[in-house]
Amino acid sequence: MNRSRASRGLHTIFERSLREIRRSLAGWMAGIAAYCLVLLAMYPSIHGNKDFSKLLDVFPEAMRKLFNLSDYTTGAGYLRTEVFSFIAPLLLAIFAILWGADLTAGEEERRTIDALLATPVSRRRVILEKWLALCSATVLLSVVLELVLGLIGPLFRLHVGWAPLSAVVAGSCLFALSFGTMAMTVGAGTGSRGLARGVTGALAVATYLISTLAQLVDWLKPWEWTSLWYHAFGSDPLTNSFNVGHLSVLVACIVVLVVLATMLFDRRDFSN
Amino acid sequence: MATQTLASSQGGSTAGSVVIELAHVAKRYRGGGGVSDISLSIQQGEVFGFLGPNGAGKTTIIRLLLDLIRPNSGTIKIFGLDSRADSVEIHRRLGYIPGDLALYERFTPREILTHFAYLRGGIAWASITPLIDALNLEIDRPVRAMSKGNRQKVGLVAAFMGEPELLLLDEPTSGLDPLIQQQIHEQVRRVAQEGRTVFLSSHILSEVGEMAGRVGLIRNGRLVAVENVIDLQRRSAHLIDVTFPSPPDANFLGAVEGVQKSEVTGNVLHAEVTGDLNPLIARIASTRINDLSIREPGLEELFLSFYEQPHE
Repeated sequence: MNRSRASRGLHTIFERSLREIRRSLAGWMAGIAAYCLVLLAMYPSIHGNKDFSKLLDVFPEAMRKLFNLSDYTTGAGYLRTEVFSFIAPLLLAIFAILWGADLTAGEEERRTIDALLATPVSRRRVILEKWLALCSATVLLSVVLELVLGLIGPLFRLHVGWAPLSAVVAGSCLFALSFGTMAMTVGAGTGSRGLARGVTGALAVATYLISTLAQLVDWLKPWEWTSLWYHAFGSDPLTNSFNVGHLSVLVACIVVLVVLATMLFDRRDFSN
Repeated sequence: MATQTLASSQGGSTAGSVVIELAHVAKRYRGGGGVSDISLSIQQGEVFGFLGPNGAGKTTIIRLLLDLIRPNSGTIKIFGLDSRADSVEIHRRLGYIPGDLALYERFTPREILTHFAYLRGGIAWASITPLIDALNLEIDRPVRAMSKGNRQKVGLVAAFMGEPELLLLDEPTSGLDPLIQQQIHEQVRRVAQEGRTVFLSSHILSEVGEMAGRVGLIRNGRLVAVENVIDLQRRSAHLIDVTFPSPPDANFLGAVEGVQKSEVTGNVLHAEVTGDLNPLIARIASTRINDLSIREPGLEELFLSFYEQPHE
């Protein structure tokens, strides 16, 4: 056995973090691709089918708004309803929340953080590298989503154009990353994975509910802007493409959370 | 109490600059415990042992030195630098084994050591291989399939690689088999010979005695005393049981030097002896015995000796 060689590609905290989840990340990629493929394969039978439009008319309006059901027979409407109304942002957010909490609180709970923080790497850099790893993985999953829909969609006569598709994927990605970063921040401040996941998951659901219920309940409408879901999807990116203002809110939110995470992490006592 | 004793360290080492300096350090935990008013200074080239029962505050001190936790009061300087403000610079010059070592389970030792060699400032792999060979460490099996002893070897290599000026070892041999303990003792002695500084903790006197030059005794978060290890061992009584073929004379050890207490139950004579054992052995050799056992006193007995006869 050759002992004279170091291991390849395992140097920085960024690299190590991604290496740790490479199998699970591959699973998430496959799952997202498979979900999209199944939906795309069903599209030709729905496309232009008038009966489906009528079927949709039967639903009460409240329900249509609640579940973001829209014109099902166009490409954009189909994707909005089947992919981006709930499932894709949810999958990305679940991934980011689970891993975000693990990156900080998980490493602390497994106690590997002691030896890590005894190396000449500042706590600030530890957090930033971990956050960059979270970003990269979330973007990677989003790219898979975009490429499967954008490249394979046309084979099933589903055309939405790259700009609207990119806009809605960007919204999903930033939505997921906001909550992933939040989970990381709560984890950095408390050291508890369960707490980080619970609090952040609950907030993610709340933001979805505020945004969808605001379509039905008048008094909620003025509060719609508090919902990150609204900033990700409220401007109907599949129709209107990028809304820089809304996406900037998500970016700003992420930046604030990262700064908060470094501050909290810097002040922590890692006793046990 | 002798908390600032700057007794000469283990023979051979050059008394250099102060490497670790704690002044009136206190750390309280919310749930109770912690340490209070710890003042201590450790010279370059010393092997300093921290001795105390579990929960006494040994790990707390080591975590304070590493800036993993911050003191409520007092100052901590390492290499003359502030433990918090200059932590990155300090960490560049030290190696550390955590008390309850945890490793990245999904990786092999080769991967983990590559990672730490990079984080510790780009230590060349070629300089690590002699350590791996010396400990006979298997480096391509996933850590999750490894025994406790082999895991500790990974931690040992990660701490000792790059020849750091200071080593912080939190119970480095706890729960390991004697062979691996010996290997660790050997590595510590090698480091000491090179004039580097070692700060280690243990709850076993004989182990500290094997490695350390000076010993700090800690109990309930307080530094009870700092002693030269040889003085400490001299001071600590050995517990002797001698079994004779027939009930011995109660005064068998009467005039022997160093015998503190002796009593007879049946054929067995129990005695406590401090200092030189030779007079005792000579006395026993003058007669026939069936069995002889010499035990080291427990930590509690050692600490009690400090409370009964306060050290000036």
